[in-house]
Amino acid sequence: MRDIFFDLSVRSVRLNFLRSLLASIGIIIGVVAISTMGMLGTNMQLSVQSQLSSNVNTVILTSDVVKVSTTGNASAENGIDVSELNDIKSSAGQNQIIPIHDSGTQFTVGSTNGRGSIYGLAPSDIPKFLTIDQGSNIQGGNDALVGATIASNFNMGVGSSIKIGQNCATIVRPVVRVAGILAARGIASDNVNTDNAIIVSDQWYTDHFGYLNVYNQVNVILQDVSTINQTEANIDKKVNRNTDVIRISDASSRLSTITSTLGTITTFIMAIGGSSLVVAAVSIFNVMMMSVKERVQEIGILLSIGTEKGEVRRMFLYETLILGLIGAIMGGIMSFIIGYSVVQAMIGSTAYFFLPQSLIYIPYGMIIGVIVCVVSGLYPAWMASNMDPIDALRNE
Amino acid sequence: MESTMGNSSLIQLVDVSKVYHLESGDFTALNHVSLEIREGEFVAIMGPSGSGKSTIMNQLGILDVPTTGKLLINGQDVAKMSNLERTHLRRDAIGYIFQKFYLIPLLSAYENVEYPLILKYKKRDTTGRAAEMLTAVGIDHDMGAHRPNQLSGGQQQRVAIARALVNDPKILLCDEPTGNLDRKTGFQILDILVDLHRKGKTVIIVTHDQKIAEYAQRTITLDDGRIVEP
Repeated sequence: MRDIFFDLSVRSVRLNFLRSLLASIGIIIGVVAISTMGMLGTNMQLSVQSQLSSNVNTVILTSDVVKVSTTGNASAENGIDVSELNDIKSSAGQNQIIPIHDSGTQFTVGSTNGRGSIYGLAPSDIPKFLTIDQGSNIQGGNDALVGATIASNFNMGVGSSIKIGQNCATIVRPVVRVAGILAARGIASDNVNTDNAIIVSDQWYTDHFGYLNVYNQVNVILQDVSTINQTEANIDKKVNRNTDVIRISDASSRLSTITSTLGTITTFIMAIGGSSLVVAAVSIFNVMMMSVKERVQEIGILLSIGTEKGEVRRMFLYETLILGLIGAIMGGIMSFIIGYSVVQAMIGSTAYFFLPQSLIYIPYGMIIGVIVCVVSGLYPAWMASNMDPIDALRNE
Repeated sequence: MESTMGNSSLIQLVDVSKVYHLESGDFTALNHVSLEIREGEFVAIMGPSGSGKSTIMNQLGILDVPTTGKLLINGQDVAKMSNLERTHLRRDAIGYIFQKFYLIPLLSAYENVEYPLILKYKKRDTTGRAAEMLTAVGIDHDMGAHRPNQLSGGQQQRVAIARALVNDPKILLCDEPTGNLDRKTGFQILDILVDLHRKGKTVIIVTHDQKIAEYAQRTITLDDGRIVEP
């Protein structure tokens, strides 16, 4: 059978149902604010994480110093040479090594001039980290792939021709044929931003741009992402044994910076949402003070016939607990609905909404709501239990 | 004085004074009152308004402690007890019957009677004692389900008597128990009290009605905080 003090609290809440409900609305708003903001932040974090973490298994190696050509030629090379590439290959274990040439170039499609990046890659390396959306990989010497943005901006399809180089009437420019169009990558964390780029074979690149056997960047695609630190250490030990010639970086540090920034923002907006609970706390405090004032004589009766102070306190704390639970449960349900709508509206996807790390904010919000409620009821309950029974009985 | 009281002395007031410190100055509600009530007595306390009747009731009911002097219940000095001990003594040894009934409005008649049992045993009554007490004061089972505001004054006072008796206290403290009742119902309630006295309860009744005081074995009259007619 139930505790009689709990019964008394339930009956008191029922007796003043409207007032209790209004007091609980503050808690509902607070719970919804905390839960929704938390879920929104987490969904944002997870969504950004998944966008960036597709290349998190890639170690990016770039040249750390500018080397002046030993021939005395004025051209300065900033790249990774063959011997360094061999060092990388020997130290990187079974992982995939992708040497990359790249530079900026002007080009012409039909009569339209444009500017973008041009990458030189071994055709066999392309499918290892790029997705061809239409057409096929580079087959012949003059084949090229284009990024999704450049293809759509210049109305290119498979078979379109691109003249590479600055438009100049006196020079015959090399022409490449579009063999395929790449899927959009966005801002890629492996530094290969192909959306606004043309990809040609490494041979075509060196034939026309030079830099044979000198690469701007070498990417190491790891088979097992957990070996990233070990692999980086091995490469560093080998290629940078005398001086630092290769800069080693990866997406994980950038990813963790972005994730932690988003985490901070989430906490901040949750705190703003949580401040509505302060208003709720005042409202609950007010309602409980009213409840105590209205029931002074009843408290006097309870105390005079032998009710312990702790039992009177318990009765009023049950009452705030009930208000808190009403607010928390309704707030929890509304958080689910509102949170889903807000995530859908602001992120455009609810793919991560049902994950435990997102939904956990609903019980978090509910628990905080109940705690705030009970804490607000502490003083009124203490006041009730410390009344003088004689004075309380006299109260009409 | 204590040693002469023997085992049958239930309540002793030894030179008890109660002084209230008011803004207008100190007010002495009880002025060096000494009194002994033995187990099984039926005592009426009379006096005009402001004579100290309520103050002495609050002392006897351990709702208050003397400013000076000693109050002994069952030989125990109330002033030396902790708050919790006084609460437990109130719960176990004293049954209160008030002029305004003072039933708990949110509980049914039955629950009001069950309440002191819950306080004592920390669980709902499964022994049937609460129902038995209600029947004994003439409240049937259906009536027991009603809230106090659905009962007449006489019925409420019966429920209050059942509540006062349910923990089998030695002392019944009645503060103008018939004050809010019509004459006929008032006498019915008095009959119940007389019957309880006959069964061995110590009944202390505060009244200003001489006719009611005649039911008692002994009448103590207070005036201006002093006993004038022991």
